[in-house]
Amino acid sequence: MPEPGRHSPGVHRRWDLAGLGLLSPLLLLLLFAFLLPIATLIPTSLRPYIAGTGIGEGLTLEHYVKALTDGFYLEIILRTVVLGLVVTLLTLVVGYPLAYVLARSTSRWRHWLMLLVVFPLLLNLVVRTFGWIALLARRGLVNQWLMGLGLTEEPVRLMFNFTGLLIGLTHIFLPFMVLVLVAVIQNIPREVEDAARTLGAGFWSVFMRVTLPLSVPGILSGSILVFVLTISALVTPRLLGGPTYKVMSTLIYEQFLQLLNWPAGSAMAVVMTLIVLALILLGTRLARRWEAQA
Amino acid sequence: MTPSARRWVARLYCALVFGFLMLPVAVVVLASFSTTAYLTIPPQGVTLRWYGRVLESADYLSAIGTSLLLASVATVCALVIGTATSYALVRRALPGKAVVSAVVMSPLIFPGVVIGVALLQFYAALGLAGSFAGLVLAHVVITVPYVVRTTLASLSGLDAQLEDAACTLGADRLTAFWKVTLPLMRPGIVAGGLFAFITSFDNVPVSIFLTGVGTTTLPVKIFTAIEFGVDPTVAAVSSLLILTTALALVLAERWVGFHRFT
Repeated sequence: MPEPGRHSPGVHRRWDLAGLGLLSPLLLLLLFAFLLPIATLIPTSLRPYIAGTGIGEGLTLEHYVKALTDGFYLEIILRTVVLGLVVTLLTLVVGYPLAYVLARSTSRWRHWLMLLVVFPLLLNLVVRTFGWIALLARRGLVNQWLMGLGLTEEPVRLMFNFTGLLIGLTHIFLPFMVLVLVAVIQNIPREVEDAARTLGAGFWSVFMRVTLPLSVPGILSGSILVFVLTISALVTPRLLGGPTYKVMSTLIYEQFLQLLNWPAGSAMAVVMTLIVLALILLGTRLARRWEAQA
Repeated sequence: MTPSARRWVARLYCALVFGFLMLPVAVVVLASFSTTAYLTIPPQGVTLRWYGRVLESADYLSAIGTSLLLASVATVCALVIGTATSYALVRRALPGKAVVSAVVMSPLIFPGVVIGVALLQFYAALGLAGSFAGLVLAHVVITVPYVVRTTLASLSGLDAQLEDAACTLGADRLTAFWKVTLPLMRPGIVAGGLFAFITSFDNVPVSIFLTGVGTTTLPVKIFTAIEFGVDPTVAAVSSLLILTTALALVLAERWVGFHRFT
């Protein structure tokens, strides 16, 4: 029997240990199968690459220098970032009205409509991209329609270029944007909008001056999410862009699995990680500042 | 614009966007029944040949088997580890909870391709390359945040005193958790399990770097098949996936109200 006076803190500490015990499996897993492997990319990225044998001895910054000065790599990085920006903007513009309608809907079908947004998200990425190949290929459905309508003589090039990636990626990431926006718009109290309307504001005026500003945090987090997912997407760019029209992730894929140039691939992976981390930090800062102002 | 006109514009717009979202899905299903290698509308003929071809293919069947086993094992592990984590985060006084949550959730937004190459290199050094165990570890990392998210949602809505009441009535901590808290967390666990299973079953960007001979998963198999050239068996196997996903979603909605967790 412990003394009464020491009983309570002892129990307290034991429960904290229990909490730590419950957390430890995941923390250990993340340490050894996530954080540590990713950290190991940094030393690899500083090794020279020797054709034939792979990783050489010594330390070098050549892969980073190349990635940030060589026109070939710079173009790929720039293309990836521009693609991310345009896809983010498109999903926002297309997704906001849908999210607004869904968030304000009182229809009994609302749950099923929400599930219709979730469905493509759960559906295999390769499957969805395959659908776009059937649509956008040289002999695909879109070209058949365009030529059938007499709008074009020759098939239009819709794959292996910016257009193809833009269409495919916008389709893939639209549901993410809609779900984030629905959640935020739903949390704007209707009373606020009603109050503005009672004070004589019309629908658009209420929307522009009340609803839209109040949904800025959602717009911000949705945009960051979509941008990050777009610049790191592998499957859709690889299948719609082929081996020739590269983005950062397909370049990393090639360097690791086909060229076996792990040091250069690691350097590119580190650059991508830094871009992603910087954006998430920036997003959190901006959201905090916005909320402090509001 | 009158309110009723606005409502019709809104409906039309939603129909258009949903049409865009469903278009490639419909195209895949149509292509799977088409007799020609390239889909035409209207299809030139209807056939079930490609489905037969999938079910006869030892490659596809073994890939389906690998994917199902991998997703099941990863989901069970993620459920156990994830539920334990949520419980600790909600019910235990621990320092640095915010940091822990951020780290736990980070695989959700971290580039899959970076996780993939990092593990490829790590496993190569450890001799785990191409192994099933390596795939399981990787899949638990990428699925566990979904479980933590949904079980956190379930758990934070529960009154902690329920468990205390059970203890007062003579149950020990474990029994109280097992008989009281766990059943009440069921919706979050089911939704998290479904998210985890689907995420694991669908994953390509991480899996593609880790699969070896005999451990190829279904989406990786489809991905490489498309890279070699489009063939209608891909459409057939894709349609099977579409059907299963839709069924799973409807069942999950009926069972636990899946929409609450999205």
